[in-house]
Amino acid sequence: MRGSSLLLVVLLLLTACAPTPTDHAAADTASRLSNAVRDGDGAAACAALAPDTRESVERSAGEPCAAAVTDAGLPPPAPVREVRVHGQWAQVVTGNDTVFLGAFGSGWRVVAAGCRSRGERPYDCVVAGD
Amino acid sequence: MRRGLVREHSLGPVFVALFLICLVGQAIAGHADYNSEQVTDGLPPVSLGTYLMSASFAVDVAENWQSEYLQFFLFIVLTVWLLQKGSPESKPLDRPGRESDAEQHVGAHARQDSPAWAKRYGWRQAVYSNSLGITMGTIFLLSWLAQSVAGTAAFNEQQLRQRQDPVTWSQYLTEPDFWNRTLQNWQSEMLAVASMVLLSIFLRQRGSPESKPVGTPHQTTGVEG
Repeated sequence: MRGSSLLLVVLLLLTACAPTPTDHAAADTASRLSNAVRDGDGAAACAALAPDTRESVERSAGEPCAAAVTDAGLPPPAPVREVRVHGQWAQVVTGNDTVFLGAFGSGWRVVAAGCRSRGERPYDCVVAGD
Repeated sequence: MRRGLVREHSLGPVFVALFLICLVGQAIAGHADYNSEQVTDGLPPVSLGTYLMSASFAVDVAENWQSEYLQFFLFIVLTVWLLQKGSPESKPLDRPGRESDAEQHVGAHARQDSPAWAKRYGWRQAVYSNSLGITMGTIFLLSWLAQSVAGTAAFNEQQLRQRQDPVTWSQYLTEPDFWNRTLQNWQSEMLAVASMVLLSIFLRQRGSPESKPVGTPHQTTGVEG
């Protein structure tokens, strides 16, 4: 009884620490968005966005995502400083901004980008879903 | 013979089975709840397997385990010294404390069929004499540790959902979320024990060893049915 309980506790500890998908993949998706915006490749930038975020970009600009996202005012690409993954969510901190991502079947997608810290309050983001 | 075996070993297995049924129910309900949050956030639902490996499920399980083991640890240890007149959960009023070796059948007073370490002296007897409390206390501490680790990951998932910074484990220990999860479970466990100790003075459950015999006076202490 005691042995099985200990085993379960160890499993719980391992579970709590297990990141899926990988930190690396989250950083890649964040970089793909900022590189695509820098290159003016709206289609590639929109492909990196989560569906709700894409809709939000289109709605607020009143034009298709590919045109809107390159004019949204996202900061230029910068080296990735830190990646944090917790469950279905990830945060990528670059030299210019912070990006929040969600896990989808096809990999990470950007939920919010161009984000600036506001201390205890949620980050203020240039691009974000509802 | 076989029927007798089942009858004599029914209490533990029934509770193990009830535990497993409830755990499966919790997993199914928790999975549905988790996925409704996913949909709200515009993320796809996750599989049951993914949910079972999540910090969210782990913390929900661990926070309840730790409080249950704390409850039994405190009940086992405190009833060595604390008495409650009229309660079948209390020892007789003239026997508080750890009692003599003769009363506890240890060392020179051990019986032929006493457990091996009860017949020994020194650390073995000391460990075995406290083995129930040590085990319950250890499982409590490990479960609480698991709650804090899984709770950090689950809290951080919520933080990222709300576009806020994650925290470290040591920071999480000072977060209201950790203490809210902990204390909401502790208060209910303490209430349950207090209710059991006090209500069993006046109320009866015929045939239950947790109750005094139905006709036993309210003042009688330490008698189980």
